[in-house]
Amino acid sequence: MIEWFHPGLIYIFGSLLIPVLRGKMRVKQAYLLLLPAVAFINLLLMSRGVLLSEGKTWFLSFLGYELTFGRIDRLSMVFAYIFVIASFCMILYAIHIKENWQHVAAFFYVGSTLGVVFAGDLFVLFFFWEVMAWSSLFLIWYRRTKAAYGAGFRYIMVHFFGGICLLGGVVLQLQNTGSIAFEAFGWGLGSEYLASYLVFTAFIINAAVPPLHAWLADAYPEATVTGAVFLTAFTTKSAIYVLIRGFPGVEILIWLGAIMAVYGVVYAVLENDIRRLLAYHIISQVGYMVCGVGMGVFGTAAGEMALNGAAAHAFCHILYKALLFMGMGAIIEVTGRSKLTELGGIYKYMPITFWLYMIGAFSISGFPLFNGFVSKTMIVTASAMWHYSIIWLMLEGASIGTFLHTGLKLPWGAWFAREEPVCEAREPPKNMLAAMGITAFLCTLLGVYPKILYNMLPYPVHYEPFAAGHVVAMSQLLLFTFVAFWLLRGMLHGTPTITLDTDWFYRITGKRVIWFCEGPLMAFANYIDHNVMRMAGFFVWVSRNPMAALRIKGEEARLKVEKPIATAERAAEYERDLEEVKKRQPAEEPMVRLNIGNAMLLVLIFIALYLIAMFIHGWLIK
Amino acid sequence: MKITMRHLFLMLYVSLAAGVLAGVLVYHLHLLHPHFWWEKLPVFSAIYGFIGCIIIIVASKALGHHWLQKEEDYYD
Repeated sequence: MIEWFHPGLIYIFGSLLIPVLRGKMRVKQAYLLLLPAVAFINLLLMSRGVLLSEGKTWFLSFLGYELTFGRIDRLSMVFAYIFVIASFCMILYAIHIKENWQHVAAFFYVGSTLGVVFAGDLFVLFFFWEVMAWSSLFLIWYRRTKAAYGAGFRYIMVHFFGGICLLGGVVLQLQNTGSIAFEAFGWGLGSEYLASYLVFTAFIINAAVPPLHAWLADAYPEATVTGAVFLTAFTTKSAIYVLIRGFPGVEILIWLGAIMAVYGVVYAVLENDIRRLLAYHIISQVGYMVCGVGMGVFGTAAGEMALNGAAAHAFCHILYKALLFMGMGAIIEVTGRSKLTELGGIYKYMPITFWLYMIGAFSISGFPLFNGFVSKTMIVTASAMWHYSIIWLMLEGASIGTFLHTGLKLPWGAWFAREEPVCEAREPPKNMLAAMGITAFLCTLLGVYPKILYNMLPYPVHYEPFAAGHVVAMSQLLLFTFVAFWLLRGMLHGTPTITLDTDWFYRITGKRVIWFCEGPLMAFANYIDHNVMRMAGFFVWVSRNPMAALRIKGEEARLKVEKPIATAERAAEYERDLEEVKKRQPAEEPMVRLNIGNAMLLVLIFIALYLIAMFIHGWLIK
Repeated sequence: MKITMRHLFLMLYVSLAAGVLAGVLVYHLHLLHPHFWWEKLPVFSAIYGFIGCIIIIVASKALGHHWLQKEEDYYD
């Protein structure tokens, strides 16, 4: 009897059959949707305790280590559920894609993320962490544009660096503690926490915490239409999961998170690319979660509220962000355009897409009765319970910006903003609309019945989201944001520009390094090469006929010395003489050719001289 | 009946008024559990939303205009 079957492996092994399925497209499509359904049933069985249930672990013994592939508790289950549910919607959105390997990459990506979620030790974590980075890369490269290749390279380089940090941290941790268990890391100041710092760096790279965030806004908008939807969910939210596991209540995360929340908002004002704008709002929203992890001190009411909030917000965020990316992806799919300056006025062609998108926008903005409201306010309330006034103001301020961009500026600029439509458009394929419909339904369902979500969270929830004060405050905030938007909407037109971010440092540095190599470094190398060769040539020339060479050089030197003091006639004579010498004694061929016997004799003479010298030396020092 | 911009604006004004009114009502019915002093102001969120939005737009645009925004071929 199988004790447990890893849900992630359902995706990874299941995907290997996809390229084999030939023939009817329908069969393949059914199979694609079957896999997440099986994984979902697997999770349900785990929740019911039929398969390995909560509180249990499942491990393999390998080289003397117990590799814990399955750590099942409330925290890993809530993340596993949302990853599986979201993957179903995303696969439905991508089901019309004919390239099998694109599906395989996506399935590996989802499966490895589940591997990270259930990983109970650092080796397994590292393994799936790397699979996650490499499989997601292909979702970017499959776009097959120059920009996508470039962004993909930068993406994998950053994650490669993160992977090295993680590996270094894991090895150090093993050396320090002798254990590979993935539990909360020690935290403090000092060199004994180096392992923690390295692992922490790897985690916050994947969580896109500034200044290590630029890979996200750089790469996600360049991914394929369907691939980008996958990307929005897994890397950053699995990073939140491992941060909850490894670094709950680490205070620096509170500030990093709040700065992230505002940072994304500021950049979203400046963005022209519709999906890059949304990517900056991933950073902003993940900021709330990072902040929640930072406030998550075990055993305190506010801390448990914060950790619950972080998990809940990850859950909701995955749904509405996928929906938003699906909406903008639909625009790219039917128009081929992705810039606000090239869009506008196409509402009449795609009203269904617009309204489904708006459900995502209301959710991310935290409108009451949509899912963002029931999770985001938990984190904000936790910050109030801790009495972090500035953090509270930053998080509320980021809410304003979120509604301003994803709820107002972006739909306004993409679907309205002009009297006449800029181009033809239509509704996207049916499967895309269906995927958006299901996701939108889930966003609303959780917003109306938050109990479904609250019952899954790691700690008991003592929070009433629909308290009058919360609802009224949020409504006022959003309504008056709209007023300010309407007054200043003239300032919010897209401009055909890009915005510098911290990727500037490695992009420009990279360019400068290449320039330095191609320019100065190559010139220097050429210079050295040229001179060494010239010197070598000179020695060859001399060695061919040393006597003649010496004479020529001597004549040349004499000429140089005497020329200034000699009469013009005399100087001319000297020069003629020199030419004569050079001509008469061409150095092309050596004047004296040594045969081998003579050469050997010379060598023997040298050795004899050397021996004599040694002998005399030895005699002298005695 | 066709919905025109006039109707939409009417709806907006009504909801703005309702939002402010609800704020005042919630305050007087003592339904608030404030953690900070400003949460006791009945229209704090409205003011914060309005001013915050303006600050975000103006400050970000200034930042972009003077520093961060470059031509699209900047990296090429």
